[in-house]
Amino acid sequence: MDVELREIHDFLSSHPPYSLLPAKVLDDLVGRLHLRYFRRGTTIIELGAANNSLYILRSGAIDIYRAGKDLVERADPGSSFGTSSVRSRQPSAYKIVAIEDSLVLVMPGDVFHRLLTGEPEFAEFFDTGQKDVMKRAVAELQGDSGGRTVLKTRVGDLVKREPITASPDLTIRQAAKIMTEHKVSALLITEGNRIRGILTDRDLRSKVVASNVSREQPVTTIMTTDPLTIAPTALAVEAMLEMLGINVHHLPVVDGDKLLGLVSSGDLMRLETANPVFLVGDIAKQASPEGLATVTGRLPLLVAQLIEQDASADEIHRLVTAVSDAISDRLLKLAEAELGPPPVPYEWLVLGSQGRYEHGLGSDQDHVLLLDDAATAEDDAYFAALAEYVTAGMETCGYPRCPGEVMATNPRWRQTLKAWTTDFHRWLTEPESDAVLHAQIFFDFRCIHGGGQRAETLRDTIRSLAPRSPRFLGHLATEAVERQPPIGFFRGFVLERSGSHRATLDLKSGVHCVVELVRVLSLANGIAAVNTIERLRAASAAGAFSADSENALLEAFEFITYLRLRHQAQQAAAGITADNSVSPDDLTALEKKHLRDAFGIIRRAQQGFAYRYQTHLMS
Amino acid sequence: MLFTSRTWRQVTSELPDGPAKRYVVDPQPSMKTPIEDIRLLATDLETTGLDPSRDQILSIGFVPVNGLEVDLSGAGHLLVRPDGDVGDSATVHGITDDALATALSPGEALDAFFTAAHGRVLLAHHAAIEVRFLGNACQRIHGFRPRFPVVDTMALQFKLLSQGFDDEPPPGSLRLNAARSQYGLPRYAAHNALTDALACAELYLAQVAELQPLGVRTLKPLLKY
Repeated sequence: MDVELREIHDFLSSHPPYSLLPAKVLDDLVGRLHLRYFRRGTTIIELGAANNSLYILRSGAIDIYRAGKDLVERADPGSSFGTSSVRSRQPSAYKIVAIEDSLVLVMPGDVFHRLLTGEPEFAEFFDTGQKDVMKRAVAELQGDSGGRTVLKTRVGDLVKREPITASPDLTIRQAAKIMTEHKVSALLITEGNRIRGILTDRDLRSKVVASNVSREQPVTTIMTTDPLTIAPTALAVEAMLEMLGINVHHLPVVDGDKLLGLVSSGDLMRLETANPVFLVGDIAKQASPEGLATVTGRLPLLVAQLIEQDASADEIHRLVTAVSDAISDRLLKLAEAELGPPPVPYEWLVLGSQGRYEHGLGSDQDHVLLLDDAATAEDDAYFAALAEYVTAGMETCGYPRCPGEVMATNPRWRQTLKAWTTDFHRWLTEPESDAVLHAQIFFDFRCIHGGGQRAETLRDTIRSLAPRSPRFLGHLATEAVERQPPIGFFRGFVLERSGSHRATLDLKSGVHCVVELVRVLSLANGIAAVNTIERLRAASAAGAFSADSENALLEAFEFITYLRLRHQAQQAAAGITADNSVSPDDLTALEKKHLRDAFGIIRRAQQGFAYRYQTHLMS
Repeated sequence: MLFTSRTWRQVTSELPDGPAKRYVVDPQPSMKTPIEDIRLLATDLETTGLDPSRDQILSIGFVPVNGLEVDLSGAGHLLVRPDGDVGDSATVHGITDDALATALSPGEALDAFFTAAHGRVLLAHHAAIEVRFLGNACQRIHGFRPRFPVVDTMALQFKLLSQGFDDEPPPGSLRLNAARSQYGLPRYAAHNALTDALACAELYLAQVAELQPLGVRTLKPLLKY
């Protein structure tokens, strides 16, 4: 008998993991299924009930409640449920309710167990290890990684050998001899663990040969003192930006106190001559905001290419942020050229996503001015003009102004280190919930211009104060837990068939669930990092997360931010202003499932956190 | 005809042994069968036309319903070899003469259908077609017309839609796809006997879920014939 249940067959073959089954196995499977119908409001599996079937939602929508209470997941057609109980042969730990009239395919337990044994790919799909699920999702999105590029390479990987160092007591001649012997173009002048300076070929050429300085002078007279260093975790492209920013060709690579080596512009150039390099190089050449806008105008295409080249969301964020930083920095220099030198030293701090190295396409500007304590009221006119120049320039380059006016153009956010310290002190010790929630992005500040010593002083204050500020942390924690990932979105898929309105998913809210959770844990543990991934790792090292939930959260974050960047790049390519709203039509069934998994991971992390928080921090 | 001259018992006692005989002789589901235990066979026919006296069956699709569950393992799709060529109907159903070369004779198809339908209530959407065509075929081959206990999803839909109203349901609302969409059941693009039988079976599950809370408990109020 030639039985072709074509409709059921096609339905299964378009939904993982059934789509992974060999054709023969799938054909056979269709004939082993049953169909059941559940009216809206009916319980399909009762909490604690025995369950010997796997269910596949054919049409309608269901809710899955853990322990009968918390909504774990809202599933749309194609989703499988009852999996854990049929696998473990234990009573169901979930209550499953039809929230719409639902048609359900039922797979007998023995059929399911046979598939698990016989079809490894199929079985893998049901692996409960969230970590692996997300890892696979990310891998599937990105495909096999291609050649390493300037965007994927970490500075630490470029350091090929121990640095050549010399003592500050040496003469210029002796130092030059060491450089020739080792065939290096730069020599680090160190004292114990400390880097005192760096001597390069160029110093020898321009300062000694051209200026007739005696070769018997100490090397300290011509070296560059206290050179800028870079961390091994930084991306090659960030190193490149740093070099372009201060016009040097060498950066010492330092991990904490440990000197690892030296990275040169030549090392970077030898990496793929990918476009980002030229993009970034162009920024330094531009002499006007309009010129800079021609550079940022190429950014969407670049992001699309990077996605094509399988860069990760973290890498793309870092690149986009590096460009934003370089644009800000360039605008500040242009402003100074126009307005004259600043009356007192200042630092330009970026906040929010730019501060966290998570700038995306269409992200807005968040920045403040941190002035030297010597600044007076009269100086403000200069900084107001500076801020307006940069903000307007950023706007020209496609960065919208911050709707909440958290920008240096706002006189409230143009103040001295002393005043900032007072502000942070008040937020930390006398938190009024609204004020603190409003101020959250301030805690993600990062200095991109002006040295950063004041910014670090400020950060030290926060690091020592925040872990001892339970009320402040309490406000942040409450907010972090109350912000729910858009699990309910998947219900929208179902409602959509009525055609009344198109449901879209706000990926930003999913991203922010992680950002906020990680921020509060990082502040509670006195962590200095601002990047969400670095904060998460540090918080985990401090014991705030288990290694499993650390990895699961990292991957969930990567997956959601990746989808967001891809969406924004597609919008930009279509000439639409980038946003965070993704239509379900743009996601494959597998991506929808992974997205649901990602939201589930975030929700569980929040719940775990809520529990821990009350017991450990609020006591 | 046969019915007036002889008793049903006499007729059946003279039948040759086989699936058709067993279908009519063995006990059929009791009127008191609780809904959870009713065994049905959702059935759909594709035919060369709508006139049972002249047109022929091209295919029979069926799928069993056991209580509140459709059993896909019992699904069947029988292609029937008619006399003459398929003609225009092939453009509707996609059944060509080539495909029919591998098909069953009407007698073989009927045997297979009665085997699947044994002890089951016939379930169809607008069942009159199925009842007449199957009855005619059986009459032609075996010389008798069987009694089919029938649940008709179109009749049930009429009942559900006209509850408490004097008005009849809006035109078109009783069609299979329209009825299904009222329960949020998926839309089926294909048009063949098996898909339609499955569509009918799913609709029945939805209708019964609707009827149970209204006090419908047994087979009797569901039956059309």
